[in-house]
Amino acid sequence: MKNIENQLREEAKKLLDDGKVNVIVGYEEGTLPGQTTPCFIESSADADRLVWNPFCSMNLAKYVHDIIHRHRDSQKRAKPEERTKKIVGVVARGCTTRSLILNLQEKQYEREELVIIGVPCTGYVARRKLDRAAGGKEIIGCAVNGDRLTVTTAGGDSDILLKDIISNSCMTCRYNNPIISDIMVGDPAPPMEPGREYDAVTEFENKTEEERWAYFAGEMDKCIRCYACRNACPSCYCKVCFLEQNQPKWIGVGVEETDTQVFQFMRMFHMAGRCVDCGSCVEVCPMGVDLRTFLKKLDKDGFELFEHRAGESLESLPPLSVHSMNDKEEFIYEPE
Amino acid sequence: MADNNKEDQNWEPKIVAFVCNWCTYAGADLAGISRIQYPPNVRLIRLPCSGRVNPFYVVKALQEGADGVLVSGCHPGECHYLTGNLSARRKFSMLKNFLTYVGVEPDRTLFTWVSASEGEKFAHVIKGVTDKVKALGPAKKLVKKFD
Repeated sequence: MKNIENQLREEAKKLLDDGKVNVIVGYEEGTLPGQTTPCFIESSADADRLVWNPFCSMNLAKYVHDIIHRHRDSQKRAKPEERTKKIVGVVARGCTTRSLILNLQEKQYEREELVIIGVPCTGYVARRKLDRAAGGKEIIGCAVNGDRLTVTTAGGDSDILLKDIISNSCMTCRYNNPIISDIMVGDPAPPMEPGREYDAVTEFENKTEEERWAYFAGEMDKCIRCYACRNACPSCYCKVCFLEQNQPKWIGVGVEETDTQVFQFMRMFHMAGRCVDCGSCVEVCPMGVDLRTFLKKLDKDGFELFEHRAGESLESLPPLSVHSMNDKEEFIYEPE
Repeated sequence: MADNNKEDQNWEPKIVAFVCNWCTYAGADLAGISRIQYPPNVRLIRLPCSGRVNPFYVVKALQEGADGVLVSGCHPGECHYLTGNLSARRKFSMLKNFLTYVGVEPDRTLFTWVSASEGEKFAHVIKGVTDKVKALGPAKKLVKKFD
């Protein structure tokens, strides 16, 4: 882990000194133990702030998109011949590269605007699982030793296996190594358990209709509509979100429960064939809404119906962006 | 909405149908000029193409009190815009699965193809859809309560 971190810093310094990138998006130490926060490194003197550890949870593709688009907006005022491009370096694990691929497919920016520093990933610690493992006490220290984590609270130290507290998305991840990268640091990570990827979805599918509805309504009931899930999601980049449109106004702003249900339903449906299962939405949710159970279903359908996994390669476009004459159509209603 | 309960013998389902201008709407017209009888529960909304139907329309119709939603377009391969209905088919296969997954009855949202010459089939479809929705009773899930 330390080795990867050092290599990462070296590569970042080289890229910045050679002028190959204008900014590097990476992770730095957070303000609390066991947390990291995204950082934007613009000079090689700051490169030592970069870290790489199991607490690097956010999907950085979101920031890449925002930086490039903010820069493009600022360039609108410049004369066309004076416009510059901003080259963004990004520290990317498997899911981040999938999001980058998705953004490239959707023509959000050019491949030349990106320098991808690939890192192998063995999963990130889910904040909620860590809190539960610490018994809900305030965490005052976290130290990683190989595959174990020592958590210090006021009540003393406890030793936890890292693989017990990594995010659900990471446990069954099949793309824990970067799919595309310009520079690769570290050795490829060992595979996770992709065979069990859709187990939870299948289990949920087998419940009765009423059970499924009760679970959905119950989860959506927790939602306070802070929109953190939308803001953290690298696939949610519309300049005007359907939530904020008011002609027509799709979603009421009040506390009506169906407004929340419809908002979450539609936000998730926008992820059909586009969700890379990075788990950022679940990680940032302050209420712990289980969005993954539903998002994973769209992933499963995308694969089962159209043999597609989001961001798997630059060539395979999201299933709802293409069409085919030979799709299955058992769902079409034919009267007797 | 308060009068919408299944025990009420006079309850009739409200069905919203999003239909394609080039096929199903003409099919409905043919059913009309051929004087074929079909249940009056359906409200037709004419759109240029079934591919124009935003999945949000379907969900929104359910939220705003439709008991059933039907989307109907041209048969695959016969789209006026060449591939609109193929895109629609992909979209709706995922939408229907997802609605079913969260617990909405599969028969609330139906998708079909009716061409301009199929006036008879249009009447059949409407009859079938009305029967299916009637059997389910008034919609309860995702429905906005106004009071």
